[in-house]
Order: sequence, then C-alpha cells, then structure tokens
Amino acid sequence: MPIGEREHRAIENLVYEWARAVDEGRFEDLAGLLVEDGEYKVASRYNVDRGLPLAVIHTRSRGQLRDRITSLRVANIYEAHCYRHLVSGVQAIGEEGGAFEVRSNYAVIRIMEHDGASSIFSTGQYRDSVVLEGGTPRFRRRHVVFDSKAIDTLLVYPL
Amino acid sequence: MSALETAPTARTWPQEGPGRAPYWVFSDPDVYAREQALIFRGAMWHYVGLEAEVPEAGSFKCTRIGDAPVIVCRDEAGRLRAMVNRCAHRGNLVCREEFGKGNEFYCVYHAWVYNLAGDLKSAAFRRGLRGEGGLPADFRLEDHGLQKLRCESFCGLVFASYSPDTPPLADWLGEAGDGVRRTLVKPLKVLGYDTQRINANWKNYHENPRDSYHANILHSFYGTFGMSRQSQESAMIIERSGRHQYFYTKAGTEKSSADYKETASGLRSHNDGFKLEDHSILEWRDEYGDGISVQILSLYPSFVLHQIAHSLATRHLVPNGPDSCDLNWTYFGFADDPPALTAQRLAQTNLVGSAGMVSMEDAAVCNMIRRATAGAGDAASVMWMGGKDLASGGSSKLSERGLRNFWHTYRTDMGF
Repeated sequence: MPIGEREHRAIENLVYEWARAVDEGRFEDLAGLLVEDGEYKVASRYNVDRGLPLAVIHTRSRGQLRDRITSLRVANIYEAHCYRHLVSGVQAIGEEGGAFEVRSNYAVIRIMEHDGASSIFSTGQYRDSVVLEGGTPRFRRRHVVFDSKAIDTLLVYPL
Repeated sequence: MSALETAPTARTWPQEGPGRAPYWVFSDPDVYAREQALIFRGAMWHYVGLEAEVPEAGSFKCTRIGDAPVIVCRDEAGRLRAMVNRCAHRGNLVCREEFGKGNEFYCVYHAWVYNLAGDLKSAAFRRGLRGEGGLPADFRLEDHGLQKLRCESFCGLVFASYSPDTPPLADWLGEAGDGVRRTLVKPLKVLGYDTQRINANWKNYHENPRDSYHANILHSFYGTFGMSRQSQESAMIIERSGRHQYFYTKAGTEKSSADYKETASGLRSHNDGFKLEDHSILEWRDEYGDGISVQILSLYPSFVLHQIAHSLATRHLVPNGPDSCDLNWTYFGFADDPPALTAQRLAQTNLVGSAGMVSMEDAAVCNMIRRATAGAGDAASVMWMGGKDLASGGSSKLSERGLRNFWHTYRTDMGF
C-alpha cells in the first residue's frame, strides 16, 4: 500500500528537523527526535559494504545520545565550526508493523570559524526506521552511512 | 637511496639536545624527503597489517610504508610476503584492491604478471610478433620482479622492512614486545576500520601517544566521567634503544593525595560531580587479569597498539606529505570472543577514533600545532618534564622521557 501523503510529509519533516537542529547547534533537541530506546549509528560505507560491524558513533537510547551531547559540551576539545546539511531524495521504501523504512541523501558542508574554510565534510545516506507515535514521527533507528572512509580531523557533531 | 635525500644537512638541532625539537622539523619538505629515505625506507620494521587480514594463501592487503605503496600477502605456501606495489616495467600499481585473494599480481597496463612472491612470471608479447618487437633476447624475468621487502610477524602483527640490516623483529621490539605479547594473546578478528585524516605532520601525531603527560589533561572525558586520572597506578616502559614504549593505567587504584587535589582542582578535566546517564559504555572487567584498563604502546616510527577498556586497535600512521597524515585505525577483538564482549568492544569505539569521546581532540591539537608553528623560524619545543636527558623521568606518566627518547632516535636516524 503506498504511503499516505500526510505520513510522507510528517516523515520528511522529521528528516529535515534533525538536519536543522544540527545546523543550528541545537544538539540537545536531537534525543527527542528518537523514540526512548531509539538507535543512532554512524558507520562508513567502507565497513558496511564489507560486513564489518564497526561504527564510529553508536548510541542505543536517548540517554546515550544525550551523554554524547554532554561530552561535546563539557569535555571535548575541537576548533569552532558548524555544519550545513543539504538533504535530498527523502523516500519511504517500505512499511512493516507501523514502522516506515526511509532513505535520504545528505551532504554536510563544514565551515571552520577560524579561517572560514567551507568544505564538503561528509556525504552519505540516512537509513531510517520511522514510527508515528500519536501522529508524531520519531526515529526508531537512524543509521548514517557515510561515503568516504576518511574523516577529516574529527567528527564531534552528529551528522 | 638518492644522494640528494641523504646528503649532510645544513639544519642544526638546538644545543640543549633531545629535550628540544625545532619546529622546522615538522614543515620542511627537504626533511620530509630525507625521512622517506632514511626512516621509511631505512633499517626499520614498519607495521603493514594484521595476520587476520591475510588469513590464507593468496590473501593480500594493500597499504603504505611512508609514501610507498606496499602489498602484504601470503604466498602459495601460506608464508607472509611483502613487496612494493609498483610494476618493474613502467611503475604502475600491480594490485588495485585494498583487500582480496588471488594467485598473481597482474599489471593492467601491459600485462606483466607476478606471482605471490613478487617474481615476474610473464610479460605480454615478450617475444614480439612475427619476429618484430618484443623484449631483448637477454631479458631475464628473474631480474625484474617487484621490489621485495623483508616480512615478519609478531603476535599477529605483520611488519615489513626495506633493509637487510634491520635486526630480527622480536629483537627490534625489545621490551615493547612484552606489551604486545600481554595484549594480543589469541588469534584476532577484525571489527572494522576508521581513517582519521590529520592536517599536520606525521610526527605531530607520533609524539601524541608517547606523551602520557597530556592524557588526563587534554582528554577531559577521562577525568570528567571518572574513567582514569593521573592519581591512578600507572607505569611507563621505554624499550632500551628508546625507539619504542608503552604506558599503562590500572583502574580502581585511585590514590587520594593532597598534592593531587591541589593541582587537579585547576584542571579543566577535573569534575567530581559529572556522571553519564548511561554508564554502561564505561563498563570494564579485567579480561587480562592484570588490572590494566588502559595501555598505549608506540612503536617507532608509525605504529600504536591500544587497549582502552575493552577497545583494542592498531593505529597505523601514514604520511601524506609534510602537512598531512592519515591515522588508520583497525579495530579488532579475538576470534573466540563471546557476542557480549564483541558488543562491548564495539560500544567502546564510541570512546576512541575519529569520533571518540575520549580521544578525538588529539587530531585537533595536531592541526592547531601546525598552525601555531607556521613561521616559527628556529623556535623549538621544550620537553623537560621529568628531566632533560634520556634516562631521567623514571617510569612516571608525568614525564616526557618517551618524547626525549623519540627525538634522540629521530636525530640519530636523520643525521641532525
């Protein structure tokens, strides 16, 4: 059964909401876009294609994602920068038991504050499972599969 | 080795010796070229991979030693081999996949074919056609193999060397071998890879894991969330030639002392009140039975082996010119790990690597040092924690003895 227009718009909005929260530095808002035991994982296509389980970020609950945000706020050292997400091709490719399988592409431009360098920091695919809880869409699973095996310097803000 | 790369240098090291490193050593392209000849192609052992990455006859892996592309493989008899990935004919790559399995290396340009030992077996149209063309009659296949390197393994780590003069691998490792042996106790299973690209000289990173002084200061995740503090029981072991070293910390050995409290209160990283919502990421049980929760082992010039709680990885440092290097992290567990232990090793990857909450800042500091040392002229760093010479500083983590030993070795190798 094709996905309804209303569901599709709600899912699309969730995908954009995540990107906008990151780009605006509202990292504390991300956990609320996951269900309570929602998973957020960032793994390279290099590992995924080889069937290797390693992920550079893997949180299995809102609490674990919040811990990562706390860490980047109070503990980690990095040079000031921000992201700009370009998200395209949001597509629901299936539904099972009320969870929609969703794919979309992203490009993240990283802008360094000290010299203004803007460069493509990461491109990849979001592989999401989205549920509608009382009409509100949330990620049950958000897998970020990034295309390049190399990460320039460090990955501190979620993609 | 070209005379240009190895000729005596006009550069002079600061009078004070190995406790100072001049900043030109990180940026000078001539120094970089000299390192390629004297260190990366010199009489050293260089890490090239894990035995687990080339598990059976015909398995191969492509990597680099310094700038040079290298193949490590197992020949038909299962013996480890290493050779430069450069066709003897016109210098093309003979192996284009990072990992794989086969029975020969085939250059796509003119179909020169090598066996797994690197010997040239055939060249297309070697005899020409209808009596024309072809290689000279006196061309000997055996004179035109791939450049072969020595290859040895130690506890599942594979190393290669350009030089017949490098001592056997176990002798080269010396006391550092004890740190490897303690950690790699069983056959390994690769869990995945992470490449961290650092916009700084390779030595900016090389210094970092040898520098136990910074660990609990820069990496405030350790202290903030109570994982490791300078006041825990720890030790530093430096191999007798000074090339290699490791240090370790034992969890649960917190010693409270007045001078620690006084100093720590000024550290950004010290925060007794901070707790993670979900502490499971830090859970650790003593799998080796020796109480060591963190061990960082550095081998000269470009290799690190770490145990950080249950996370196990190698870090292979590959230079990309004077201002860039790649840190290639290979994460692994043991082949017989139960699923729960594999899961914990994977979960603790959150702490290390490119996105590691403990250690991501190392690369940021390397980048900042590169910027800060631009235009530095003859300025030099000062590494006098624990003393000024090679022996002083004992086994304290609050010592830069490991750095002084590195720079001493480097100067000797480079003729500075």
